[in-house]
Amino acid sequence: MYSNKKECVAMLLAGGQGTRLYSLTAHVAKPAVSFGGKYRIIDFPLSNCINSGIDTIGVLTQYQPFALNQYIGNGQPWDLDRLNGGVYVLPPYMKSAKSDWYKGTANAIYQNIDFIDKFSPDYVLVLSGDHIYKMDYSEMLDYHKSKGADCTIAVINVSLDEASRFGIMNTNADGSVYEFEEKPKQPKSTNASMGIYIFTWQVLRKYLIEDEADPDSHNDFGKDVIPAMLRDGQKLFAYRFDGYWKDVGTIKSLWEANMDLIDRNSGLNIEDSSWKIYARNAAEPPHFVGDHADVENSLVTEGCEIDGTVRNSVISSRVEICRGALVEDSNIMPGAVVKEGAQIHYAIIGDDAVIEEGAVIGEAQDGVPVEDVKITVVGPGAVVKKGTVVPVAAMVD
Amino acid sequence: MNNEMMSIIFASDNETKLNELTIHRTTASLPFCGRYRFIDFTLSNLVNSNITTIGIVTRNNYSSLMDHIRMGRDWDLNRKNSGIAVFPPYASNTSRTMFKGKIEALYGILDYIEKATEEYVVLTNSNIATNLDFEDVYEKHIQKGADITMLTYSSHPTSSRRVLVDTDKDGRVTDARITSTISDDIAEVGINIYLIKKDLLIRLITDSYERGYSDFEKHIIQYNVDKLGIYTYHVEGYAAIIDDVKSYYTESMRILDTDIRNDLFYRCGKIFTKVKDSVPTKYGIGASVRNSLIADGCEINGRVENSILFRGVVVEEGAYISNSIVMENGRIMKYSELRYTITDKDVTVTEDKTISGSENYPVVIVKNKIV
Repeated sequence: MYSNKKECVAMLLAGGQGTRLYSLTAHVAKPAVSFGGKYRIIDFPLSNCINSGIDTIGVLTQYQPFALNQYIGNGQPWDLDRLNGGVYVLPPYMKSAKSDWYKGTANAIYQNIDFIDKFSPDYVLVLSGDHIYKMDYSEMLDYHKSKGADCTIAVINVSLDEASRFGIMNTNADGSVYEFEEKPKQPKSTNASMGIYIFTWQVLRKYLIEDEADPDSHNDFGKDVIPAMLRDGQKLFAYRFDGYWKDVGTIKSLWEANMDLIDRNSGLNIEDSSWKIYARNAAEPPHFVGDHADVENSLVTEGCEIDGTVRNSVISSRVEICRGALVEDSNIMPGAVVKEGAQIHYAIIGDDAVIEEGAVIGEAQDGVPVEDVKITVVGPGAVVKKGTVVPVAAMVD
Repeated sequence: MNNEMMSIIFASDNETKLNELTIHRTTASLPFCGRYRFIDFTLSNLVNSNITTIGIVTRNNYSSLMDHIRMGRDWDLNRKNSGIAVFPPYASNTSRTMFKGKIEALYGILDYIEKATEEYVVLTNSNIATNLDFEDVYEKHIQKGADITMLTYSSHPTSSRRVLVDTDKDGRVTDARITSTISDDIAEVGINIYLIKKDLLIRLITDSYERGYSDFEKHIIQYNVDKLGIYTYHVEGYAAIIDDVKSYYTESMRILDTDIRNDLFYRCGKIFTKVKDSVPTKYGIGASVRNSLIADGCEINGRVENSILFRGVVVEEGAYISNSIVMENGRIMKYSELRYTITDKDVTVTEDKTISGSENYPVVIVKNKIV
């Protein structure tokens, strides 16, 4: 019998402002920020969903949603244009009595209870729109089911030093969570929450309604919903993920994740044809490398014209790097132009920015450990005038 | 202006001279420029000109073409109304034998043409790479009150069959010669694209078919130079017609010129193709690439000069590719050298081999071979 029912519906939180990405998110939501030459950050969770067999996804947006909406469109690039299911962009909307922006992560799901109910799912997968990773959610769902869990939280092992920057799950031997600590000063374990949750829908539904009724709640999963479920003795399990995962919410981590695409040993491998990362295609011809070019240890994609020197860099679609220009250890976003004799070191250059002749962005930091490297940013559409020197770690809007 | 024109694309023509390159495919699906098939240029031009009722007439080897086009989604042609219709041979009851030429092919699909709501038809071969605005062709057609507009460019006649035309000052064709004689003199040469009013086309095709005519250029164009108003539309920018291995190679190499490339890819609109979601190309330490066109999904650790690499090509360290075309998923292993060579899809050249053709006679390695 035909039915609308879906076993699992994914809800992707894409509403954050991404203020720590500064000018890169001045005009687009964080999930729509360019990544890895021809992708946007959101391509990773969307591709993970379709590759995991999850074909019904709500994308919760409210901040600068236009570029993201346009990018997602009908979901066709991810094979998400479905008769039943597919991808839905869900901004906050006016309801009868009280209407509001999404007040927190839990409230964003709360406001879309009707949407989720339409598919009568057994489970709901909650995802973030600012992580770079490849993960088979179906394995996590199997784990959730085998444990008979009410909530399963994906965790990744971090170093003890880093642990105090994350939400830490303290677990028993069977993987059940007995304690959740948000950014603990003295962490008891190194199981950091990846912000990926699977809930048994009827359980979550009840907690969302209760959370909404509590005027003191922040309406946040980490701060309110998870602790409430723990207090009530619901079955929470940690699901250990061992692959590559990076939160790209900061300039530095965004730069690092781009560099990880070049490094064979980073664990971030997007070349696996059985787990493709899909993206909306720009319909550009292959890239052209000119007579004066020298390209090494870099990624270059469609529509680029390269006639300068490029090393250890990720060059996105439609980028032009002119003769005599030098780009090192940098991420150049789509449509940027680097003119004759300009130099770029350890930088992120935003979409369609123009670096004019002889300008110098950042400085070489050879021998500096990665932790201490400082990244210079030129924002989307910015023009750095001829001969200008932009000092290391500066942000040009 | 919208929906004034429909189009019929002939997917197969002149294949004999392309030898190895069209053993397994139609000319329409011949790979070109690193990530395209020939038909991409025609389909994109049509879509960019708001022509969305498109019939594709095939003759043989059309499975690679069907696989490429699928439902036409990559060209935005998966429409409720109009869209792509593919006609394999023997598509109708009237065509009990394999059609011999365009006239018979069109006669076999007259029903489709008649039923379409558009009043004008663009007829086009599929061995043409150019960037055209058919709306401009249409406007000129109307302005001149033409019966048939034939698209032409300035070129040297080659050994392939071409229509050479003379025109009066208004662009009306006064003489049409069909020749395969090579000449150094530049002439106005037809590129096998025509715009014609549907009613007239149906009349001409029916009449020609009933008289046993099969040659469109001879029996419809040449015979009617005096009777009909046949006007030329001169294509100003880059236009390539591929009908043998040499023209395939020469036109491919011309794309390395940035002005020509920009003209072909951006003049009137973008060129769309089947999206394969390849990753960006990875340059290794020690890679050296000059004057080359490189598609996505390649991995380059060797030297590449004056060449075109299609999607997913691997160039191992110490390998050296010059003046060559390596099609999809080619693998050139350590210390091997390619010069003036075209390798078809999925060719592997094992370590320490040297393959060398010449500029006038590039070597072709057929699909799936291991050298």
